[in-house]
Amino acid sequence: MTTTDLGMPVSGLQHVPHLPDGAAKQTKRDFTSDQEVRWCPGCGDYVILAAVQSFLPELGLKRENIVFVSGIGCSSRFPYYLDTYGMHSIHGRAPAIATGLATSRPDLSVWVVTGDGDALSIGGNHLIHALRRNVNMTILLFNNQIYGLTKGQYSPTSRVGQVTKSSPLGSVDSPFNPVSLALGAEATFVARAMESDRAELTTILKAAAQHRGTALVEIYQNCPIFNDGAFEVLKDRSQQEARIVRMRAGEAITVGAEDDRKVLVRQGSGVMKFVSEAQAETGEKGAVVVHDPALDDPSQAFQLSRLDTPEMTHVPMGIFRQVSRPTYDDLVRAQVTGAVDAAGGPAGDDDLAELLRGRDTWTVG
Amino acid sequence: MLGSYPITPASDILHALSSMKRHGVTTIQAEDEIAGIGIALGASYGGAIGVTTTSGPGIALKSETIGLAVSLELPLVVVDIQRGGPSTGLPTKTEQADLLQVMFGRNGESPVPVIAAQTPADCFDAAMEAVRIATTYRTPVVLLSDGYLANGSEPWSVPGVDELPGAPVELASAPNATDDQGEPVFRPYLRDPDTLARPWAVPGTAGLEHRIGGIEKADVTGDISYDPDNHDRMVRLRQAKVDGVSVPDLEVADPSGDARVLVLGWGSTYGPIAAATRVVRNTGAAVARAHLRHLSPFPANLGEVLRRYDRVVVPEMNTGQLALLLRGTFLVDVRTYSSVRGLPFTTVELADVISSTLEEVR
Repeated sequence: MTTTDLGMPVSGLQHVPHLPDGAAKQTKRDFTSDQEVRWCPGCGDYVILAAVQSFLPELGLKRENIVFVSGIGCSSRFPYYLDTYGMHSIHGRAPAIATGLATSRPDLSVWVVTGDGDALSIGGNHLIHALRRNVNMTILLFNNQIYGLTKGQYSPTSRVGQVTKSSPLGSVDSPFNPVSLALGAEATFVARAMESDRAELTTILKAAAQHRGTALVEIYQNCPIFNDGAFEVLKDRSQQEARIVRMRAGEAITVGAEDDRKVLVRQGSGVMKFVSEAQAETGEKGAVVVHDPALDDPSQAFQLSRLDTPEMTHVPMGIFRQVSRPTYDDLVRAQVTGAVDAAGGPAGDDDLAELLRGRDTWTVG
Repeated sequence: MLGSYPITPASDILHALSSMKRHGVTTIQAEDEIAGIGIALGASYGGAIGVTTTSGPGIALKSETIGLAVSLELPLVVVDIQRGGPSTGLPTKTEQADLLQVMFGRNGESPVPVIAAQTPADCFDAAMEAVRIATTYRTPVVLLSDGYLANGSEPWSVPGVDELPGAPVELASAPNATDDQGEPVFRPYLRDPDTLARPWAVPGTAGLEHRIGGIEKADVTGDISYDPDNHDRMVRLRQAKVDGVSVPDLEVADPSGDARVLVLGWGSTYGPIAAATRVVRNTGAAVARAHLRHLSPFPANLGEVLRRYDRVVVPEMNTGQLALLLRGTFLVDVRTYSSVRGLPFTTVELADVISSTLEEVR
């Protein structure tokens, strides 16, 4: 087997040109295009757009080296509103197009904007293969658990029983858990954020952009027209503390307010469970789980992803997994540059002539 | 960059190109046919020559992305090594039945240039021509071959490197217009007046940041537009661009100059047709022969050529697809000679067809 040594892991933005020292600082306005934003009033997409436009200047990249590729759906209008390069492609195919772009152009910061229908239904194949290949790109998956642009059919993340235009008696489709799916597809960076928690979203976006490889960020996003309040229990201040599990690397995984805090332990059977702080201290119910997204074995991250239930009793937020693995595009380019170097440099006319002559030539006359 | 999914009889192109890394060729074996063309289109967007290779069933899957490339107006080469169909059909057998699929098998008015290779050796020149058209006109181009050519071989006169036609490409590097205030701006759909090609501005080019997509775009600015007149204009502009692709006139071989019958073919039937006309001419009869490389757009003189003869015979390994196009385009009668057996025509078979046609016009 031939392996290619890529050396030390590098940032996802390693080969992307940065602004020179002393250059004028970019602002949100620099990343705002002249197009009128056309989402419904109250759509969660506005909040995500504002967060991304505000965050991009922090990367310090040359704006022309940033590309947003999207598929089809409400979320996929995103590229039109960013003053970067952008392509609004076709339904589900953005990860494939981005793979070709990222592999041919290491100097670009490539982003995919997609939704639950786009990424998990019609484009499911491209998503899982981008993740397993670990192409250097960041995928923002807006999950509103509904088809919005087509006006309200159940999606692959809709709850069982959800009544929609196409499921008047309730959906009988079992939903995907996007984080579990991504982990099963060998993703090297998987995170979840709420559209309404801008600070946390920004932190995750930053980590995702820096990650070398495919970073998948699931963003819970409210559709006020066709699935309003899907994440209300997580936004409601009286409930969110008891439901949102904020994962922090190196720390125990807890949920609940200070006076009613629960701690995640792993029982002897391997099952994870939240117990009281007192029980956690004695260890009687199992060993306290310490969050470590850098674990090479994805089992713990997968277990964490399964804490999530349709009732949203406990919903983990943050980075599930962040590990280093050679990226597909780096390996592909290394094979090409390796072949070119081994031959003593880029092919010239003589090399082309040799290629044309091939192995079985003769001279006539 | 090649994006491709394994399929008979096209996989050998993937195999061959994947061993040409030394020449800067990148190949990606995609997860499916749709990803294969998506990868190629993504590479084209980034400034590479994006190529995807497949056979008929793969074209069916790639259709939506070909349509996107028509809308984005980016260069792309789509190679269809035709095999027996429909469905899985006869994967290892030859056929010419994808012509109408590549011409019309997409939603909306979605014109693309189509060219066909004639012989194994001609595949080289046909591929160069496909790249020339794709890069000059910023359009997806379909290159048709078939199982007979793909598995055939013949002596090939090796061209000198300096004889090869270049495919010079000028990427956009600066604004191409001014706005109302006189400020320089970039208009991604402002066309070259000669070729009607739009500028190819690749990511990484400062000052030319813009957004493109499959939604109808406003002429010149490329902004999203639902304006009825604009859509009508864009549909006609895309068609006019393809119609305006420079194509050499069709050459007719009629050694005696007396022929009243023309045999017109396209693609891999070149060899059998050439052999059959030779056989007939050797009996002292006059018959003209011509072979179409460009199927979209047709050569400008094609209508005149067709009307010059009392009979036009079109042998095809389908049930008459080129004949349908010729009748619809030129309002002329052409006779289909059709055989769809998964096998190439034989010389004897075609010589008989030509001879009996000559009898009719005698």
